Amino acid sequence: MTAINPVEILLVEDNPQDVELTLRAFKKANLTNYIHVARDGAEALEFIFCEGPHAGRKIQNGPKVILLDLKLPKVDGLEVLQRIKRDPRTQMIPVVVLTSSKEQRDVVESYKLGTNSYIVKPVKFEQFIEAVQQLGLYWTLLNNPPTGGG
Amino acid sequence: MGIDFTNNVTAGGHQVADQLAASFKEISDLRAALDEHAIVAITDPQGRITYVNDKFCAISKYSRTELLGQDHRIINSGHHPKEFIRDLWTTIARGKVWKGVIKNRAKDGTFYWVDTTIVPFLNDQGKPRQYIAIRADITARKMAEEALRQSEARLQTIVESLDEGLVVADLRGQLLHFNHAALEMHGYSSLAECRRHFQELPDTFELHAMDGTVWPVGQWPLARILRGEKLHDLEVRIRRINEAGWERVFSYGGMLVNDATGMPMMAIVTISDITERVRAAAEIRHLNTALEQRVIERTAQLEMANKELEAFSYSVSHDLRSPLRAVDGFSQAVLEDYGDQLPEEGRRYLQSIRAGAQRMGALIDDLLAFSRLSRQALERQVVNADALVRAALEELAPLQQGRRIEWRIDKLPACQCDPMLLRQVWVNLLSNALKYTRKRDPAVIEIGCQTNSGSRVFWVRDNGTGFDMQYAPKLFGVFQRLHRAEDYEGTGVGLAIVQRVIHRHGGRVWTEAQVDRGATFYFTLEEGITL
Repeated sequence: MTAINPVEILLVEDNPQDVELTLRAFKKANLTNYIHVARDGAEALEFIFCEGPHAGRKIQNGPKVILLDLKLPKVDGLEVLQRIKRDPRTQMIPVVVLTSSKEQRDVVESYKLGTNSYIVKPVKFEQFIEAVQQLGLYWTLLNNPPTGGG
Repeated sequence: MGIDFTNNVTAGGHQVADQLAASFKEISDLRAALDEHAIVAITDPQGRITYVNDKFCAISKYSRTELLGQDHRIINSGHHPKEFIRDLWTTIARGKVWKGVIKNRAKDGTFYWVDTTIVPFLNDQGKPRQYIAIRADITARKMAEEALRQSEARLQTIVESLDEGLVVADLRGQLLHFNHAALEMHGYSSLAECRRHFQELPDTFELHAMDGTVWPVGQWPLARILRGEKLHDLEVRIRRINEAGWERVFSYGGMLVNDATGMPMMAIVTISDITERVRAAAEIRHLNTALEQRVIERTAQLEMANKELEAFSYSVSHDLRSPLRAVDGFSQAVLEDYGDQLPEEGRRYLQSIRAGAQRMGALIDDLLAFSRLSRQALERQVVNADALVRAALEELAPLQQGRRIEWRIDKLPACQCDPMLLRQVWVNLLSNALKYTRKRDPAVIEIGCQTNSGSRVFWVRDNGTGFDMQYAPKLFGVFQRLHRAEDYEGTGVGLAIVQRVIHRHGGRVWTEAQVDRGATFYFTLEEGITL
C-alpha cells in the first residue's frame, strides 16, 4: 500500500457543489497535490491541530496552504483563521481566504487576522495559481516530489 | 391812613408834647420796620381795605388806588373752601387773632402764598374797630413743598405700580414698607399686617434653599442684607405656613441704601416671583431628557435596522451567490466535458443558462454596491476633478478600444468630495456616454463645468442615442432601464448610484436629452462646498 500522502492543500468548504467545482478545476489543471477537504470549521481545526480523528497526524506535515471559506457551519472561517494565526506552530501556513463577494467587511477583517490572500469564488484554477504565486508557493506545489514510498 | 396816630392828642404842655413826639417817632419807626418786613393791610369791620403797604401792592400787583375800598375777595384765589374763610371771619369778628396760610391771586392771575396773622383792633365796647393783617410771602417755600409732594407722589406711584416686589426695612430689621406687588406676593391684605420686625416672620413663612434646605431666619435675604451683603438673583423657595400652605419660588435682590453722607440709612429688598419660570425650566429640562431618551432609542433602532440591513446584504452576497455558482459552474462543466455529445441547440441552451446566472450575479453585485453607498461614511477632501476624470477614463480604456472618440474636456476645478465615491460617479456617467455612442463614428463626448449663480455645475454630454425626456423621471431609479438589453447591456443601477452619491454630497443631478440627438447629465455638489 502507498503511505499516506503528506497533505499539500487543505480546502475548508461546506458547500458540496463548490467543493466539486474547485476539485474539478484543480484536476483539469493537472494539479496533482494531495487535497484534503474539511466540511466545517470544527473539522478544519481538528485536522490542522491533529486532534480527534486526525490525532495520528503530525502537525509539521502540512498542509502547505489552506483554502478557507469564511461562511462555515459550527466554527466560522474568521475564527479558524484567528486560531491558525495565533498558534506559533501553524501561523506560518499561508491561508487563502475564499469569499463569495468583494464585501469589504470580510476582506478587511480577514486581512486584519493575517490572511495572506483571497480569491472570489468560483475558484478558477487561474485565480488559484495567481494567489499561490503571490505567496511564493507556486514551485513548492508544482515541483512536488513524487508521492508514495516513505 | 388807617391808624390815626394824631387822634385824641391834646396839647398838654411842652413835656407832654415832647413825650408825644418821641412816641410818634417810635411808632413811626416800628411801622417802617414792619413795612420793610411784612405785607400789611388794614380793613374796616366790614372788610373793606383801608390801608395797604408797598409790599402788599408789589405782591398783589394791584395799585394802591385799585385796592383801597375793595374787600379781600379781589385777591381770592378760590383755593380755600368757604368754611376756611368763614372760620377766619368768625375768629376775628370775635376779637381773636387768626393765624393761617392763605393762597392768594395776584392781578396777573399768578398765585402766591402768605403766612398771615390778622389782629383785630377793638373799640371801647370790645368790638373790632379795624383789622390789621400782617403777612409773610412763603410762596417759594410752598412751591418747593408742592414740588416735593408731587415728586414723592410720582415715586410712590412708580413703586406701587412695579411688578417687582419692594420691601423697605430700617437698619434694625423693622419692616417699614411693602409695595403693592410685595403685599400680594406674600398674601398680605394691608400694610399694617406686615409692619413687623422681620425676625418675627418665621411664624408666617418658611424659607428654603432651592435644594430644600430650610433656612433659619438669620440666613434670610433681609438678614444677609442687614449684614452688608448685596444680593442678586438669590432663588428661594418660600412657603406660607399658616394658610393654604402655598409654596412659591422668589428671586431676591437687595442692599443697604446710604444717605447723603454715605451712612447706611435703610435696607431695600427686591422680590420677583419666578415660580412659573422655574416650573417652565423644569418642564423644559424634563422634555429635553425625554427627547434625549427618545433620540437614544431611535438611534438604537436605526443602528439595529442598519445592522439588519448589513446582515441582509452579507447574506445576499454569500448565500444567493452560491446556487448561482453551481448553476454556472456545472453548466460550464457539462459544456466542457460533454459538449461534443450535445446537439447544437443543447449547447446553446446551456450557454443561455450560464448567461442568465452571470447576469443575476452582476445584478446582485450592483445592488450590493448600491446599498454599500448608503452605509459607507462620506470622507470629504479637496480633490482635483481633472484627476478623477483621468482615473475614470483609464478605468474605461477597454470600452474605448477600436473606436473613434472625440473627447472635449474642459479644465475642471477642484471640489470637496469623497474621491472614491465621486470617481464612481464619473465612471458611471462616462461609461454610459461610451455605451450609448457605440453606434456613432466618431463619438463626441464633452466634459465641462460652469458656475451658475454661485454653484458649480459639472456635465457630461454625448452625441449618442439619447432618450425621450418623458422617461427622464424613471432614469435614476434602481433597475430602471430605457433601452432593451439586446441593444445596450446593463443592470440599471449605474445612474441610481450616481444620484445617491450626488445626493449624499448635498448636490443635485438632472439630465437633458433628445432621441438620437445625445444626452447631457448635469450634477452639482453641495452649495458652498465646491471650491
